[in-house]
Amino acid sequence: MPDFETTSFGRISYEPEWTIEFPSGLPGFEDRRRFAAVKFEKSAPLVFLQSLEDPALCFITLPVLVVDPQYRLEVSGEDLGQIGLAPGKQPRIGADVLCLTVISIRESGPTANLLAPIIVNLRNLKAVQAVAPESEYSLQHVLLPEEAPVCS
Amino acid sequence: MLVMSRRAGETILIGDDVEIVITHIGRSRVKVGIRAPRETLVIAREVKLVREENLAAAVATPPAALSSLVARLQPAPGPGTTCKDPQPDRSSLQSRCRQDR
Repeated sequence: MPDFETTSFGRISYEPEWTIEFPSGLPGFEDRRRFAAVKFEKSAPLVFLQSLEDPALCFITLPVLVVDPQYRLEVSGEDLGQIGLAPGKQPRIGADVLCLTVISIRESGPTANLLAPIIVNLRNLKAVQAVAPESEYSLQHVLLPEEAPVCS
Repeated sequence: MLVMSRRAGETILIGDDVEIVITHIGRSRVKVGIRAPRETLVIAREVKLVREENLAAAVATPPAALSSLVARLQPAPGPGTTCKDPQPDRSSLQSRCRQDR
């Protein structure tokens, strides 16, 4: 199993077949294509998206349904095509794709980027950050304590 | 803001180097062709905002801020309640990483 030195977690091992590939990178990081999704029990439900090309690049993300259980995807045909999904039909979160929202930790508190979620095709692990310009979702959705997952 | 009316196929020039062509007008969107020098960044406004958001998000997070975020996401279940896994897609991608340090 190959391993990789990271700034945040030290040396991590990963299975190459679980490498997430962004064919066009992410806005601002267009040349970063390969990432590993790293989870730790003590920091669940956070998912760390660690670049396998830049030891210092690591996004903190959350499954989008943790932030908004009613979240609706609006991925453009172009973005769906990039990750090998048929345009014209929105993928199902959990069944077809993993959908992660990037968290920013601000002085005023953490926010989630619901405008541009990261969509990972579970069949080929190709990913895209899908900017949904026509959606009503916020680029900086405030994560309030009452929006944390509630036991039912 | 300068507002100009154009038909499909017509062009707008910005300075000497940038040319905007209205290539197609649909019911709810227009297709615009842009000819600009290679070094000029041409980008949709929302992509620029996402880019800035990503750059801010990629800054190393102080461990204290991270712990407080985790604490907010893991509320202690009250007595007698069972906590269901709130995210159905969580099991889809198992963590395949092992921490060696």
